[in-house]
Amino acid sequence: MPRSNTPILSTSELSVRFALRKTWLGNNQYLHAVQKVSIQLFEGETLAIVGESGSGKTSFARALIGLNAVWQGELKYQGQTIDPLQNQAFSELRRNVQMVFQDPFGSLDPRLSVQEIIAEPLQIHGTHSKALQKTRVADLLTQVGLPVEAANRYPHQFSGGQRQRIAIARALAPQPKVIIADEPLSALDVSIQSQVMNLMKSLQTTHGLSYILVSHDMAAVHHLADRVAVMYLGRVIESAPVDQLFESPAHPYTLALLQSVPKIGKGKRTVGGSLKGDQPSPINPPKGCTFHPRCPVAQEKCKLEVPIDRNLSTEHRIACHFPIQVVRSAGATV
Amino acid sequence: MTSYLLQRLFGAFLVLLIKSFVIFALIGLMPGDPIDLLANANPEATAQDISKLREIYGVDQPITSRYVAWLKGISEGDFGFSRISHRPVMEVVFPALGNTLILTASAFVLSTIIAIFLGTMAALKRGTWIERSINLFAFAGISVPGFWLGLLLIYIFAVKLGVLPAGGMPSPDGPYSAMAYFILPLVTLVIVEIGGPTRYARSAMLEVLHQDFIRTAHAKGLTSSRVLWVHAFRNAMIPVTTIVALGFGHLFSGATLIETIFGWRGMGRLIYEAIMGNDYNLALVCLMMTTALILVANFLADVAYTFLDPRISLVGEKKQ
Amino acid sequence: MSDIASHSHSNQEIVAMEAIQEKVNSIWSLRFARLIKDKAAITGALILLTLIIISYLSPLLTYIVGLDGSTTDLLKRFDPPSAEHWLGNDEAGRDVLFRLLEGGKTSLSIGILGALGCTLIGTLIGASAGYFRGQVDMILMRFTDFMISLPSLPLLIILAAIDLSKLGVSQSFINSGAAGYWRIIIIVTLLGWTGVARLVRASTMSLVEREFVLSARAQGASSFWILWKHILPNAISPVIVATTLAMGRIMLTESGLSFLGVGIQPPLTSWGSMLTNAQEMMVSNPELAIYPGAMIFLTVIAINFLGDGLQSAFDPRSDPR
Repeated sequence: MPRSNTPILSTSELSVRFALRKTWLGNNQYLHAVQKVSIQLFEGETLAIVGESGSGKTSFARALIGLNAVWQGELKYQGQTIDPLQNQAFSELRRNVQMVFQDPFGSLDPRLSVQEIIAEPLQIHGTHSKALQKTRVADLLTQVGLPVEAANRYPHQFSGGQRQRIAIARALAPQPKVIIADEPLSALDVSIQSQVMNLMKSLQTTHGLSYILVSHDMAAVHHLADRVAVMYLGRVIESAPVDQLFESPAHPYTLALLQSVPKIGKGKRTVGGSLKGDQPSPINPPKGCTFHPRCPVAQEKCKLEVPIDRNLSTEHRIACHFPIQVVRSAGATV
Repeated sequence: MTSYLLQRLFGAFLVLLIKSFVIFALIGLMPGDPIDLLANANPEATAQDISKLREIYGVDQPITSRYVAWLKGISEGDFGFSRISHRPVMEVVFPALGNTLILTASAFVLSTIIAIFLGTMAALKRGTWIERSINLFAFAGISVPGFWLGLLLIYIFAVKLGVLPAGGMPSPDGPYSAMAYFILPLVTLVIVEIGGPTRYARSAMLEVLHQDFIRTAHAKGLTSSRVLWVHAFRNAMIPVTTIVALGFGHLFSGATLIETIFGWRGMGRLIYEAIMGNDYNLALVCLMMTTALILVANFLADVAYTFLDPRISLVGEKKQ
Repeated sequence: MSDIASHSHSNQEIVAMEAIQEKVNSIWSLRFARLIKDKAAITGALILLTLIIISYLSPLLTYIVGLDGSTTDLLKRFDPPSAEHWLGNDEAGRDVLFRLLEGGKTSLSIGILGALGCTLIGTLIGASAGYFRGQVDMILMRFTDFMISLPSLPLLIILAAIDLSKLGVSQSFINSGAAGYWRIIIIVTLLGWTGVARLVRASTMSLVEREFVLSARAQGASSFWILWKHILPNAISPVIVATTLAMGRIMLTESGLSFLGVGIQPPLTSWGSMLTNAQEMMVSNPELAIYPGAMIFLTVIAINFLGDGLQSAFDPRSDPR
C-alpha cells in the first residue's frame, strides 16, 4: 500500500486521566487511563489497538475524537496539531474522523428512525439539505448492504449485525478519511462477524479509508490489520506490522495474548498460556514495569524501572527490559 | 462515619436556619401588621414595652434585622405569646404536638403493618379477586380526599348511627369513652395513608418473588412459607423501608385537614388556626418546630436505612 | 490478510434483508398498543376526558339552558331535585348541577395547569442537573432536597393566605377571584416540581453515557441538540406518568386548601370550596357535601388508573431490544 510520509492521524505521548474523587479541597485521585501513547496511522492502513479490558484502549480511542480530554501530549491530524480550543481545526477533525461503537443497540437512538440516525452527522454539520439527506442515506444503506426501505424502520426491528451496518453507514455519512472502530464485532454472533469484517474491508478499498481497530479479538485483528499496537494498563508495550507481531511477538504479554486465542478446526489445539493472576487495578498500578507481577520472565530490574519504548527493528517497537527473541516458523502460531 | 454524620447534622442545621428565615419573611406578608401583632401579643405588655418592641420589630425595619432580633429572642428561650389563647406559645404548642403524635404515630404504625400485610397478600394471590380488591382499595385510598372521607364517616357513624362522637377531644364527662373520640380520625388517617405503601409493598414483593434466588430456595427443598418469610420478606423490606421513611416526615403535618374536621387539637389544626387568626407568634414557632422535627425524622430514617441495606456504603468508606 | 469479501455484494444484501419486519413500528406506537389493552387505564382516561369536556362545555350549556351555578335565589334554598334543577339547589339557592360543572372546570384546570407547571420546572432543573453534572448538579440537588423537606401543607396554607396587596397586586384582581386561582397554581407548582426533577435527573444521567449520545457529541453537537433530540425524548416516559399522577395530587391539594378557605375564593368556585360549609350541612343536607367530594374522588381515581396504566405501558423493560 502506498504511503505518504505524513501519517493521516498520529499521537505523540498522548495521556488521558480521569478524576476519581472530588473533595471540597480539589481533586485528589486520578486514574491515568492512557499514558504517553504515540501511534501513527497512515492513509489507507488499518492500525489495530489490542489489549484486555482496562488497558485504556477505549479511552484512547475516545480521545482521538474529542470525547475524552487530552491531558498531556499531542494529537495530530494530517500533520497538524489539533487543539480542542481551536474550533476550525477541531471541527474538521470531527468530520473526518468517525467512530463505530461496540454495542449495536446502544449506539443507535431507539426513538429515531434509521433515516434520522444515519443523517444525524449531516444535520449536525449542516452540510446537506433534507432532500440531499434522503438520497445520501439511501446511497449509504446500499453501500452497507441494506435495502433502501430500512430507512423508515426503527433500530429494534433489526438484528445485531444489521444494526452494526447502520452504525457503519452513519460513520460513512460525512465522508470521513478515518474510521475508528471500537470493538465493532464483539457483540455479534461469530457467523455475523465475518460478514461485517468483510464489509469493512471492502469499504476500505472503495473509499480509501484508514481504520483504527480497537479490539481484544486477535483473530479479527489478524484478518483486518496492517499494524498492531498492544496496550497494557494504559501504555503501548509493543507495536509492529501484523505478521511480525503474530509470528515473533517480543513482549511476554503479547505472547500470552496470542496463546489465549482458541484455535478451532485446524486440527491441533494449542494450549492457551494463561497469565498469572488478575489484571491489577489501573488506579494503583505496580511499580516499575506494570506487567511484572504477571510476567513469567520478570527479573529484579523489572520491578524497579519502567521500560522505555525502543526500536527492536525498523518497524517493531517494544517497551520491555527482556524481550523474547524467539523466531517462530510461519504457520505455527496462528 | 462520624464525620459524615456531623456533616449531615451541620447541613440540617443550616437548612433549618434558612427555612426559618423564609418562613419569617412569609409571615411578614400576612394580612395586617404581623410583626407588630407578633411582638404585641403579650397582654401584659406595657406601652413602653410596645414602643420598644416596635423599634426592634416595626415594619420600617429591614426584614433581616427583625429576623435577627427574633432569633436572639428564641435563643434566650423567649418564644413569644400566643395571641388567641393568651398564653406563652410553648404552653400551647407542646400539648398540641402530643395530640398530633398520638394520632399520627398510631396511624403510621397501623397503616404500615396493614399495608405490608395487604401488599404481601396481593402479591401472593396474584390474579385472584383478593388481589383485585386489595388493588382497588389501595387506589381508592390514595384517591379519596381525606377531609371528605372524614365527613362521610362522621355522617355515617355520628349522625346516622349515633355510635361515635362527631369530633372533639376526649373529655372525662362526655357520653363517650376516650377511645371513641380517637377511632374516626384514626380510621380516616389510616385509609388515606395506606394506599401508597400497600401498592409499593405489593410490587416489591412481586419483584422479589420472581427473582432467581427464590427459585433456588424452592429447589433446595425449603417449604413455601419458610421461603416466603425468611428470604422474600427480608429483601422486599428494603424498598418498603424507603417509602416508610418517606412517610415518616408526614408524621407531624400530614393530619392537618383531618384534625380540623374532627376538632382534634393537634399541631396541624393549631397552625391553621394560628394563621387564620393572625396569631403569628404561634404560627412561626409551630412551623419551626414542625420543620425541625421533620429534619430529625429524615435524618434518623437515613441512618436506619444505611444500616439496613448492606449495599450502601457511606461516602468516604471503601467497600472491599 | 487481504481476504476480500467472499460474498458478492448482492449476496450481502439478500442476507441483510432477512427478517426486516414489514410494518414500521416505532417505540411509541408499541407503547400505545400496550396501553390500549389496559382496561382500567382506558376507563380512567375516558372518565377523565368526559369530565373535562362536560365541565368545559358548561358555558355553552348555560347559554342553551339558561341556568348557571352562581345565580342565587334565596327562595329556592335547599330545594330537592326538580325538573328544572336536576340536582336541586344549595344553601344559597344555586343550581347544584351547574355549580358542580363550573366548579369542575376550575378544579380540573388547576390540576392540568399545575401538573404542567411542575413538569416544566422539574424538567428544566432535573435535565440541567443531570446533564451538566458537577457544581450545577450539586447546587440544584441541594435546592431540591431543601424543597422536599419543607412541610408542605402548612407552607401551602401560609402561601395561600398571604396578603397579595402587600406584593403589589391590584385589589380588583384580588376581588375577581382570579388572583386566588393563579395563586393556587403558582404555589402548587412551586412546591410540586421536585418529583419530576428527580426523575428527569436520573434519566438524564443514565442517558448521557449511552453510546448514541457519545456519537452525537463526537460530531460536535451542541448541548441543546443533544438534550432536545436525544435526552428528552428518551426521558419523557416516566415524566408523562409523573405529570398524570401529579394532576391527581394537585386536585386533592387544591380541594383541601379551598375547603379550608384559603384556596379558591368567591366568585370563583371549585369542588373543594363547595365543601367549605359542608360540615354544617351534614345533618340536614348531606348530599350537598357528598356530590363535590364524590366528583373529586371519581376524577382522582380515574387519573390514578390512567397513570398506573401509563406506567405499565411505558415500562422500558417491556420495550423490544
